[in-house]
Amino acid sequence: MENVLEVKDLVVRYETDDGVVYAINGLSFSIERERTLGLVGETGAGKTTTAMSILNLVPDPPGVIAGGSITLDGKDVLSMSEKELEKMRGNDVAMIFQDPMTALNPVIAVGRQIAESLVIHEKISSDKAMERAKGMLEMVGISASRSYDYPHQLSGGMKQRVVIAIALACHPTFLIADEPTTALDVTIQAQVLALIKNLIDNNHMSMLLITHDLGVVAEVCDDVAVMYAGRIVEIGTADDIFNHTGHPYTEGLFNSLPNLKQKGEDLIPIKGLMPDPMRLPEGCSFSPRCPYKTEVCNSSCPSLQLVEGKHYVACSRLGFLKK
Amino acid sequence: MKQAKKTIDGEVVYRGRSMGQETWRRLKKNKGAMIGIAFLILLILATTIANFVYDYDTDIIAMSRDRFLAPCKDHIFGTDNMGRDIFARVIYGAKYSLFISLGSTAIGLLVGLFLGALAGYYGGLIDNVIMRLTDIFYSIPYIMIAVVVVSLLGTSTMSLLFAMALGTFSAFARITRASIMTVRDQEFIEAGYAMGLPTWKIIIKHVLPNCLSPIIVQTTLKVGANIISASSLSFLGVGVTPPTPEWGAMLSDGRSYIRSSGWMCLFPGLAIMFTVLALNLLGDGLRDAMDPKLKK
Repeated sequence: MENVLEVKDLVVRYETDDGVVYAINGLSFSIERERTLGLVGETGAGKTTTAMSILNLVPDPPGVIAGGSITLDGKDVLSMSEKELEKMRGNDVAMIFQDPMTALNPVIAVGRQIAESLVIHEKISSDKAMERAKGMLEMVGISASRSYDYPHQLSGGMKQRVVIAIALACHPTFLIADEPTTALDVTIQAQVLALIKNLIDNNHMSMLLITHDLGVVAEVCDDVAVMYAGRIVEIGTADDIFNHTGHPYTEGLFNSLPNLKQKGEDLIPIKGLMPDPMRLPEGCSFSPRCPYKTEVCNSSCPSLQLVEGKHYVACSRLGFLKK
Repeated sequence: MKQAKKTIDGEVVYRGRSMGQETWRRLKKNKGAMIGIAFLILLILATTIANFVYDYDTDIIAMSRDRFLAPCKDHIFGTDNMGRDIFARVIYGAKYSLFISLGSTAIGLLVGLFLGALAGYYGGLIDNVIMRLTDIFYSIPYIMIAVVVVSLLGTSTMSLLFAMALGTFSAFARITRASIMTVRDQEFIEAGYAMGLPTWKIIIKHVLPNCLSPIIVQTTLKVGANIISASSLSFLGVGVTPPTPEWGAMLSDGRSYIRSSGWMCLFPGLAIMFTVLALNLLGDGLRDAMDPKLKK
């Protein structure tokens, strides 16, 4: 199947006054058409930086995209001119932001914020765009009569629906959702996830879903990539990751979740903290926290190796977990 | 907001109001602002009509006879040391006071807005260069700047306007910069880029409107302050030249006769006071009306 997005050996650094932050260190993954990839990892693993790189919006300075390539629908994002980028953003690729409370402009009515994207990319009159915006609002489950309301008059869940409507207004082929449900409470989370999943399926879109919630991943994603310290440590279909876990870090993530089948058991958290991205350890960056580490792990940084099918794992002791 | 409209078949249709309509709707409820607007409209109408119907030289100066008349039936504000009717002079003078203060504030606002937006949005070197320049202007008293400019360009209404704009823009630049810096890092700006908006559109449509309320208040306060500045400068003799009936110049003329004919100072002084008050009331009302977050 053809890939919508291909990221190859991406390296992103933040060159600050205090030193260089190695945010993303040789990241590679691809997303097939009409599939959803979940990007999982803890805070600071580089998930949001990955999303910003795809839009070529890494804040510069201090951010530097030092190497690699990002190909979107066959076009190289990193070599595009500013004009081409503006044309691509919002039209071919759209983004759903994490916090709907701050992602909407407080002084513009929500309908007009949806219409704005249409006016820019489809070059239609603002009256026509407003009509389309009302349609978008109905689509995400908000009455069109609310289109002249300001963001503070809507609830958190409704605001996130508006953010989704803005992202989908120009029918992008690829959607980036950066923790779309983190700021919402659990009942609204389920509604918003169901809405996103529905819209994705109906409009034949592909999606990169960034989250640190494995439950969300299980519900929405076809494929999963687990990220740690700016690298992908395990990637495969959801079934591969959940049922045939191949990396000690992924196993640690699952062990730190409460298990409904074995009630009363203690959780097993991953020891230690994520390494300081300014001073990444030599060798495997997970080795200081890994319960299975050996001498090899301290010296060599493992690359992704094929396990079977589409399942890749980056661990020197590949296969160890299965035994 | 929305407006419900019942159509013939009983269906309810919602239609939006524009930002302007909405602001006006809420401004109407503010009594202070409406009094301010009424006073300003009255003043502008009076001075416009007076300037069209009468000629200052023939109707006021040539008609002057009785000097130092206290307010009476014929001259409700009295007459001055030349026998000119003070009421007529105050009405004529509104033109100069309003033109100079509005003009200088408008120029200062545009320059300040532009510089402040650049400095606040881009930061770094641009910010440093612009703000240090602004600091220099901010640190010189406006009367000093005005005296220097007027002595360089000569005494005229235009040079007064220019001098006062120089003293005004720095405050606008500072206020714009400060409020832009609080808005620029918010997520909806990033969302704007992710939507494919060019930078200039983001600054004009998303950043500036969020900074408007402090700027509007500052503008109306500055118009008031600039009326006083223009009057002070005329009072000092570097502003509008006599016999132009500018309010400050009239105050200055009346100073020598304040013991015997106090009305010569009283009425231009009251005119300044009420105009400034009206502008401040309007400014407060506008700020409340334009902020969607204060909506009831």
